[in-house]
Amino acid sequence: MFCYQCEQTYRSDEGAGCAGAKGMCGKDAATADLQDILLYVCEGVGQYLHRARQLGATDIEADRFILFAFFTTLTNVNFNAAKFVELIQQASQIRDRAKALYENAARAAAKIPQTLSGPAAFVPASNMAGLSAQASEAAVRKDAAILGEDAVGARALILYGLKGVCAYAHHARVLGEERDAIYAAVEHALDMLAREERDVATLLDEALALGRANFLAMEALDAANTGAFGSPTPTNVRVTPIKGKAILVSGHDLKDLHAILEATKDKGINVYTHGEMLPAHSYPKLKAYPHLAGNYGGAWQDQQKEFAEFPGPIVMTSNCLIEPQPRYRGRIFTAGPVGWAGVRHIADENFAVVAQAAQALPGFAEDAPEQTITIGFGRDTVLGVADKVIDAVKSGAIRHFFLVGGCDGAAPGRNYYSDFADEAPKDTVILTLGCGKYRFNKHDFGTIGGLPRLLDMGQCNDAYSALVVATKLAEAFGVGVNELPLSLIVSWFEQKAAAVLLTLLALGVRNVRIGPTLPALLTPALVDVLVEKFGVQPIGDAKADIAASLARAA
Amino acid sequence: MYKVNLLTRDGATIAFDAEPSDTLLDAAERASIYLPSSCREGGCGACRVARASGEVELMSYSSAALSEDERMAGDILLCRAQPRSDLTLRAPFDEAAVGFAPVPERRATLVAIEPAGSGAMRLQLQYEDDPTFGLAAQFTAGQFIELTLPDGSAKRSYSLANAPNWDGTLELFIRLQPHGAFSNYLRDRAAVGDRLLVRGPQGQFTLDEASAAPRWFVVGGTGLAPALSMLRQMAEFADQRPCRLFFGVNKVDELFALDVIDGLEAAVPQLVVTLCVWKPEQDWRGFAGTPVEALAQALSSATERPDIYVCGPPALIAAAEEAGRAGGVPHDRIFSEKFTAA
Repeated sequence: MFCYQCEQTYRSDEGAGCAGAKGMCGKDAATADLQDILLYVCEGVGQYLHRARQLGATDIEADRFILFAFFTTLTNVNFNAAKFVELIQQASQIRDRAKALYENAARAAAKIPQTLSGPAAFVPASNMAGLSAQASEAAVRKDAAILGEDAVGARALILYGLKGVCAYAHHARVLGEERDAIYAAVEHALDMLAREERDVATLLDEALALGRANFLAMEALDAANTGAFGSPTPTNVRVTPIKGKAILVSGHDLKDLHAILEATKDKGINVYTHGEMLPAHSYPKLKAYPHLAGNYGGAWQDQQKEFAEFPGPIVMTSNCLIEPQPRYRGRIFTAGPVGWAGVRHIADENFAVVAQAAQALPGFAEDAPEQTITIGFGRDTVLGVADKVIDAVKSGAIRHFFLVGGCDGAAPGRNYYSDFADEAPKDTVILTLGCGKYRFNKHDFGTIGGLPRLLDMGQCNDAYSALVVATKLAEAFGVGVNELPLSLIVSWFEQKAAAVLLTLLALGVRNVRIGPTLPALLTPALVDVLVEKFGVQPIGDAKADIAASLARAA
Repeated sequence: MYKVNLLTRDGATIAFDAEPSDTLLDAAERASIYLPSSCREGGCGACRVARASGEVELMSYSSAALSEDERMAGDILLCRAQPRSDLTLRAPFDEAAVGFAPVPERRATLVAIEPAGSGAMRLQLQYEDDPTFGLAAQFTAGQFIELTLPDGSAKRSYSLANAPNWDGTLELFIRLQPHGAFSNYLRDRAAVGDRLLVRGPQGQFTLDEASAAPRWFVVGGTGLAPALSMLRQMAEFADQRPCRLFFGVNKVDELFALDVIDGLEAAVPQLVVTLCVWKPEQDWRGFAGTPVEALAQALSSATERPDIYVCGPPALIAAAEEAGRAGGVPHDRIFSEKFTAA
């Protein structure tokens, strides 16, 4: 096993990366190796699909499979080795289909089909023992000696960014929003990885192209979520339990949440959101369900304690899952790409069994004192009061906007983000995205001119919504996005954050502060490029960074 | 007071203090650490661990629970061992098998009782709704419960044969012993509607979910119960790992739960079942011999080394471990639960 895809990867003087029997996320070496092999076989699928598409032939089912397969390999999604043995066989069959598609298309165009090598020709073993022996052929750092460390790092940036793109595109896909351009970009990136591209400048251009594809993926997901459930509106969400039977829904998948709300309708069961599911309360068609009762717990890294105390079933619809503890292992369910060996998985979106579990478990014995937070400041809401916002900026009532977005995690340095939000001057507005906000979203930030100072824009993927707002405000002020009194303070943990970072870079958004640490895959030379060319900065001291941000705007 | 460090199979360290007059099991429980155990009197071997360093004194125990070879190799029974120094122990179970809250005690009602082949009974119990646990029967497939008779006179542990469920149903297969207190109750007095105290779930004879190897279940008599539970759970989870069941009895009329096994063969298409009868009548078409003999034959032609799950009397476990060794299956890939008569 070698994996350095997430922020919590093992770091020592000798370098970074999880390489032992188990990664920091709890994934064992066998599963990590199988994930590498799955991605490698998918590169082979991409080699054929990319060429077939150029000849006008496509296989949308194969593209959909790639989205799903990549999604399963994100940090904290799927830990089930047996599932990967299955997925590798499926990927291999799909690659055979893609090969036939390409070769037939070539012949139809009176061309001689190329014989492809690398992942296209890799034959995965049919069982666990055989696959383990093949792990080195698919490892992330394979051929590092030939490619060079900078190329390996840049390729990893693309591979991990691609995971983020696939995750967002999959979420959009299940709600019926798909884009040919996204599939073409995914196939292109897979083909590029497969041919062992090693020129660092070319790889960075490819990374930016992937960032643009991710903008499309986030746009598709925004269209999917708002199309299905309406545009988010400001909403007070209860953050304390109500007496009665209860289900907790975590992850990012609004469609699964909707299915759970339907399956529990009129059954006297309260549905609670956890982690990144919080923004669901702001979607009109979801909040119309009276039993969408509230939000429970904090960010993902606290789940082992919080799930143990939750008196009902728990559903993980996407990341972030950590090892289910004995106290709740029997009542946690996975759905979609998520998996843990020995945990019930719902593959068919039929959540009746979860409703049954909720009835069979005790639920909350008493009401807790009511406490609420306000969320739901998506693009439509913010742009709906754009005049007020613009006036407040012009009058000086709002001096600056800080977008404090991204994931939370257990690293001690992450208190930077709550310090930052708490220390930001009273004439600044804090926009939040992702689960990093749980460190401070129950603090009282007050208001500016009737607007709350803390505006939550949603999940990590609602970075799209933030970019739309920034672009419109820039237009209104007649300046570029980088000239707005806006600073981006990003906390990253997994690969969707890598994709969002690539999008920001591709769109020319400068001066992004990123922490708590930089991705381990970035070599000193790659860090130099990000700093010099894109103005990316590692986070420092919260007070100093606030002062520097305000000084830049002044 | 001595320091005890117990290392689990998955690498976690569980630390607690123990007085020289404590058994290690009691000392752990005083620290709210509930280690896998069953009879608590040296009779079953459920609390056996390996001693990596340090000294203990062992109180009396059954050789069925800890053989002389095992003791010489350093193994101890937590329920019988008192510390004589600081200790480092190696457990054959994962951290997940360790409880940090007391084992639940609940009430259940007997809702069905019927013969299961000659010499055994099938029981179905229904949990009562409970303010702390609800109605649900939550356990890990392969675990057991301890039942107390309605008059409180006897306690016995039995493996659950059904999968965890939300209806609060518990299914047990119990071999009738000639003079067993619980067997006498089942034979003479048990009636639908009886209320029993259930302490559980307990035990670490559960699937090693992290392993992607094929699973072979080698069971004798009512040792079938935990294998049924695990296979039913595999069916429910649509688990696609290759699996085999070697189910052995002495005589054909002792076979039971064949309808359940038929259902499993349909629900788990990759399941291969071998029914083994040691002393069959002439028209027996299945395997004639013990399940361990069937295991040994199958191992000789296996292409992939399986994880072996063995449940039955001590002699069956020992024979299966030997057959596994001879067949090249590492010792730590053989998981077992002994059934001891009491």
